Amino acid sequence: MTISKDYRKELRDAAGNERIRLALSRAIKSYRENTKNTLKKFPHTVRMAEEVLLIKEHSVQHMRELAEEASRAIEENKGKAYIADTAEQALEIIGGLVGSGKLIVKAKSMTAEEIELREHLEEAGNDVYETDLGEFIIQKLNSRPMHILSPAIHVPREDVAKLFSQITGKDLPPDIATLVATARQLLREKYFTADIGMSSANVVAADTGTLFLIENEGNIRLATGAPPIHIALIGMEKLVPTLEDAFKVAEVTWRYANYGIPSYVSLVSGPSKTGDIEKVTTYGAHGPKEFHVIFLDGGRTELAADPILRQVLYCLRCGGCLYECPVFGLTAGYFGDKYFAGIGAVWAAKVHKNLEKGSSMAYTCLTCGRCKVRCPMKIDVPEMILKLRNSIVEP
Amino acid sequence: MARTADKLIPPGLAYIAENIHKSDNILGLPRQAKSKWAEGIEFSKDRSTIFFAGCGYQYSAMLEPLVNVIGTADKMAVNPDLPVHLANLPKKLGMDVAGIFSKTVAGDKGGESAVLRDAVKVLKALGLDIGYLGEHEPCCGAPLYHIGVRNKFSAHAGKSHHAFKEAGVKRIISIVPSCTYALKTLYSRSGVEHDIEVLHFTEVAADKVKSLKLKYPDRVKVAYHDPCQLGRYMGLIEQPRTILKSIENIELVETAWTSGEWATCCGGGGGFEVVFPDISRKLAAGRVAELAETGANIIATQCPGCLMQLKSGLKDLKNDKIEVIDLATLMARSLPG
Repeated sequence: MTISKDYRKELRDAAGNERIRLALSRAIKSYRENTKNTLKKFPHTVRMAEEVLLIKEHSVQHMRELAEEASRAIEENKGKAYIADTAEQALEIIGGLVGSGKLIVKAKSMTAEEIELREHLEEAGNDVYETDLGEFIIQKLNSRPMHILSPAIHVPREDVAKLFSQITGKDLPPDIATLVATARQLLREKYFTADIGMSSANVVAADTGTLFLIENEGNIRLATGAPPIHIALIGMEKLVPTLEDAFKVAEVTWRYANYGIPSYVSLVSGPSKTGDIEKVTTYGAHGPKEFHVIFLDGGRTELAADPILRQVLYCLRCGGCLYECPVFGLTAGYFGDKYFAGIGAVWAAKVHKNLEKGSSMAYTCLTCGRCKVRCPMKIDVPEMILKLRNSIVEP
Repeated sequence: MARTADKLIPPGLAYIAENIHKSDNILGLPRQAKSKWAEGIEFSKDRSTIFFAGCGYQYSAMLEPLVNVIGTADKMAVNPDLPVHLANLPKKLGMDVAGIFSKTVAGDKGGESAVLRDAVKVLKALGLDIGYLGEHEPCCGAPLYHIGVRNKFSAHAGKSHHAFKEAGVKRIISIVPSCTYALKTLYSRSGVEHDIEVLHFTEVAADKVKSLKLKYPDRVKVAYHDPCQLGRYMGLIEQPRTILKSIENIELVETAWTSGEWATCCGGGGGFEVVFPDISRKLAAGRVAELAETGANIIATQCPGCLMQLKSGLKDLKNDKIEVIDLATLMARSLPG
C-alpha cells in the first residue's frame, strides 16, 4: 500500500477539477510575469540570493547556537524566549502561556500549521481568529491551505461570496472589493478585544533578537501590535547571525514571493515600552506588554545533519517552486501535507514523521527539476526526493 | 527485495526494478530480444566507441500497453497496488509482454526502435566508426536509482561497468537521456570508478552537424521539447537547437515561458506514468497544448518517455495536425540522398 488510497483519490479528484486548474493557470501566469518584472526592476536580487544562500548554509549548521544567542538578546530586550525540542514541547509552552477562554488573533504561519497550533488552542477552549484573508477563508471553510502564501488559491470569488453571506446573513455579491471589505469589518474589532496576538517570522536576527514580519494586508501589524500579549512561534531554520543578514534574507524572500515591494515589514525585538514620564522605562505602552518567542527544533537539527536533505532548511517559503511544479499546477495543495510538492515530501517524512504521506508524495514528484531553476536558494528538489525515496526503501 | 521496499515502492516501479535485477532490462524480456532493432545494420568490430541503445526506445511498444493497463486499473478505482507477486503483475493485469513483443517486432512496428536505426544512420553519416555490444549491452540500471534502491543500483552499475571494460569500451555514445545521465554521472557517484567517456547523441551530432548539408523534405515549423534529464540535468539545451537551426526548411519555434531550462515536464518524469497514469496523461496533454501554441507542425524531442507521453497527449487533444518525432529521426529524414 505504497500510495495511500485516500491520497490517490484526493489527487485524482483534484486533477479532474477544472476550477483548480483554471485558478492555478491564472496564478502561474501572473506569478511568472510579476517575478520577471520585479527582477528586471531590482536586478541585484539575483546576486543577493547567492549571498543569502551562503548565510543560510552557515546558519543551518549553527541553529542551536543562534537560537541561544537570539534568546539572550530577546531576554535582554525584556521579552521571554524558549527553545522547544519537539512540537509537543512547543504546544505545551504555548498552551501554558495561553490557558483557556482567550480570544486570539493569529497571523498566517506555516510553522503553526506544522504543529497544528490553532486546533490545539481551540481544543483548550480558546477562540482563535485567522486574520490573513486567505487563511480566514480556509478556516471558515473548514478546509486546509493549498499554497504556502496564498492558502485559498483554489477558492474562486463566487465561493467566497457564498461563505461570507452565510457568516454575515447578508446576500453578498461575488465582488472582490466587497468581500475584502466584509472581511475587514468582521475582523476589525477582534484585534482590539483580543487577549493575545500570534505570529511567526520570516527571518530572525540572532544578534539583536529581531523578528522580521513581511506582509501586504496589515493584519500582522494589527495582530502583533494591538493585543497586550504577542506570542511568536518560529522554526529554528529562520535564524541568521546578524541584522544585516536578516535584511538580505527578507529582501530576497519578498522579491521571489511575488511581493515586489511589500506594503509592510515589521521588525519586532521586544515588548512595547516608553520612558516618556521621568525617563522611567515602563512596558506595555501602546503595543504588547508581554513578548514571548518560541524557537522550534522539531526535527530540524536532525535534518541539518543530512548533507542532501538539509537543503529544505534553506527554504525561504517564497512559494516560487509551487508555481513551477507541473503536478501542483493540476492538483494544488492536494500534492501536499503541511508543506507542499517535492520539498513538502521531505517535511512530511522527516519533520512531521508521516512516512505514509511522505512516501506517497516522494513518488508523486516528477523529479523534473523546474522548481530548482526557480528557487532563489537553488534547492535541488530532485536530488532530495531521490535521497528520500532511498531512505524510505533502504532505511 | 527487502520487505519494507516491497511495501513502499509503488508496484509499477517495483516491477521494473525486479526486471532489471533478473533480466537486465526493464521489461524482463529474454536477452536475445535486446538487439533485434539492429538486425541488418553493420557496426564496427572495433568497440572502443560504442552506440548505447538502452531499453526505452526499443521497448516503448511494450511500455505503452503496460502503462495503459495500469491506467485502466487506476480509472476503474481498482487499487493498482495489487497484492500479487511483482513478476506476475502484467499477467495479473491481463497483459502478455512476450506476446506483444514478438507481434510488434514481427509487424515491424517495434515502437520507437526505428529511432535507434535513424540515430546510427546519422552517426555514420557524420563519419563516426561505432561498435555496438548487441545482446551483451548491459542495462544502465538507472530506474533502480530513481526508485530508491541505491544498493541494488550500485551493484548493478559495478557489473555493467565491468561489462564495458571487458568489451574494451573507451567511449559511449548514448541516446536515452536517463541512461546517459546514469552512465555520465550516477555511476561515479555510486562508488564505481567509471573511467569511460560518455556522450549523448546530441553532443556528438551538434559538434559535427555543420559537416552535413541537412535539408528537411518540407518547409516546417518545429518546436523542441526539452527532456528534463537532457536539459536540466545535463545542460544539453543549446545543442539540439544548434542542430535544428542548421537544417534547411526548418524554422525553430519556442514557447513563451516554457523552453530550455524552463521546459514543462511531459508528465513521465521519475516513473510518474506508472504510478499515476491518468494524471500523467493530463500533464502530457497540457504540455502538448503549450507546444501547439507555437504553431508548430512538428514537435521534436529526444527521449522515448517524452515521445510516448507527447503522442498520447496529442491523441487526447484530438490533434492530428502535429507530428511528434525524435530529433534523430528528423535528422535522418534530412540527410542528403
